[in-house]
Amino acid sequence: MKYPFLIIGSGLSGLAAAIRISNYCPDVLLLDQHSRIGGLNSYYYRNNRLLETGLHAITNYAPKKQKHAPINKLFRQLKIKRDEFSFKEQIGSQIHFGSDQILNFNNDVNLLISEVERLFPDCHDDFCSLLKKIEVHNPFQNTTGLSARKYLEEMISDKRLIEMLLCPLCYYGSSVENDMELNQFVIMFRSIFLEGMFRPEGTIRDFLQVLKQRFVDQGGTLRLKSKVSRILVKNNTAYGVELDSGEIIEADNILSTAGYEETLALTGRDLKTRIGKRLAFIESIFLVDDSIKNNLTTSKTIIFYNSGELFNYQQSAEIVDYRSGVICFPQNFQDIGISDPLEIRLTHLANYDLWQKLSSTPEEYRRVKLQCSARSAETAEKIIGIFSDNIVYQDTFTPVTIQRYTLKHEGAIYGSPRKIADGDIGFTNLFLAGTDQGFLGIIGSMLSGVSIANQHFLTKI
Amino acid sequence: MTRDEIKDLVLEIIEDIDEDADFDALDPAEPLRDQLDLDSMDFLDIVMELRKRHQLQIPEEDYPQLATLNSCVDYLEPLLKDA
Ligand SMILES: Cc1cc2nc3c(=O)[nH]c(=O)nc-3n(C[C@H](O)[C@H](O)[C@H](O)COP(=O)(O)OP(=O)(O)OC[C@H]3O[C@@H](n4cnc5c(N)ncnc54)[C@H](O)[C@@H]3O)c2cc1C
Repeated sequence: MKYPFLIIGSGLSGLAAAIRISNYCPDVLLLDQHSRIGGLNSYYYRNNRLLETGLHAITNYAPKKQKHAPINKLFRQLKIKRDEFSFKEQIGSQIHFGSDQILNFNNDVNLLISEVERLFPDCHDDFCSLLKKIEVHNPFQNTTGLSARKYLEEMISDKRLIEMLLCPLCYYGSSVENDMELNQFVIMFRSIFLEGMFRPEGTIRDFLQVLKQRFVDQGGTLRLKSKVSRILVKNNTAYGVELDSGEIIEADNILSTAGYEETLALTGRDLKTRIGKRLAFIESIFLVDDSIKNNLTTSKTIIFYNSGELFNYQQSAEIVDYRSGVICFPQNFQDIGISDPLEIRLTHLANYDLWQKLSSTPEEYRRVKLQCSARSAETAEKIIGIFSDNIVYQDTFTPVTIQRYTLKHEGAIYGSPRKIADGDIGFTNLFLAGTDQGFLGIIGSMLSGVSIANQHFLTKI
Repeated sequence: MTRDEIKDLVLEIIEDIDEDADFDALDPAEPLRDQLDLDSMDFLDIVMELRKRHQLQIPEEDYPQLATLNSCVDYLEPLLKDA
């Protein structure tokens, strides 16, 4: 059978595009190399417990009545009722800098405004004018490549405030070293500081299940463990894919969510030059028995921290860069039943090459992984209190793990520093969505799938 | 389809897109977009839904003709006369 639409990747962007297209044309084939859907945002089981791979908090929280908020637009486009989920807002988050500066924020921007005034009294007016500018900035215009840092420096006189604002935004969505692309910055600023963070009740599995069901109910076909090894092209037109089993599947239109360089490589058109450095991360999950609740000095949802004078968001020179990181407490959302054991997740920048080298000696790789997660816990304990003695289970994923499960080059969660906003990578019927289209995170990648489907595929039905 | 049936069809499609759409005060001669707070993504859905239900191919240059409820009916009437 020749499919009118074939989608590579059942991550959130691929799933969203698949739902969108199959609503109007059921003959959509969705392929993934992994045995589970979800891509970066999936789950696995250890000790009879489901662990999520990539969910700290979902950004873009907005009440249902705000019709034009990105999240409500998204659900409308997918024809999924928001009421199918119960959304739990964050309790509150923090940005820690140096040894003494703590900036609180939550889903009400007024807290952030008053916190900026408390810590940076001279910058209150600067910050208010920044908010006004962000409100009117259209991030979907075609001026890409501008620096968010420069934009901030023109408006805000205190460097420390600039760094503190950039820290969470970079960690949750920059593929560029020590900066963000301006439009991306505006999108992330709105989605984290103006809208806010939440998580669905239940696990990411439940969330993915709703998406998958929608796609299957509409007549779409999902095939897992189907790795695309080649996209077959003639001139500038793709006519199908070859799986690593050798099977050939023909298609009229192909959407790839596999990344820009990754997709080009599948077509046989490798880029001659590398596009800048990719950022890799390491994440450790700790399950701790809940007797330590009293030791923990915080009930916050997420803490972004930076211990140095400057915030270094760049490819790590060491195997892990402990100087900054993210501490996440998945149970610290409003009205989420306390789980036992408790979960603590720690993220840092890491060096892909060093992990890659290590992985050729599995024993050494495992040993260093344990060492790094212990060091990571130690770093976090300075901020949240001691928990190491109460760990009942722990696991760590390195850039190599992420590459293995998602095929992202160098395990770079946010992909290439170069983004292709219109999804056009030089073919008549093969387009790009997801991470390297440029919208990042869970809601971002789903909106990416939807908007590329609208732009390039629905017109062909 | 009669003009009234077409009107109902359009409203039904809009209701599918936005279950909270309020038609009580809808002026059929005024733009739907402003009155019902629809955006371009929603408009695309109206077009796609017409394609799905009645195999209508509406070219992009004709989208402006779907601006008001009356103009929708005018535009769709000849296309749906046998439906
Ligand atoms: C540790 C971690 C924490 C995160 N925390 C958050 C968070 O708290 N909030 C948030 O909003 N976002 C978070 N993210 C980011 C978010 O998960 C991603 O931005 C989003 O899921 C990207 O979706 P995507 O569809 O673009 O890419 P992916 O999820 O990478 O999807 C691509 C899919 O394509 C498949 N694929 C690739 N190549 C092939 C091939 N050749 N053949 C077949 N299939 C192929 C892959 O298996 C994968 O399933 C986190 C990510 C990680 C890793």
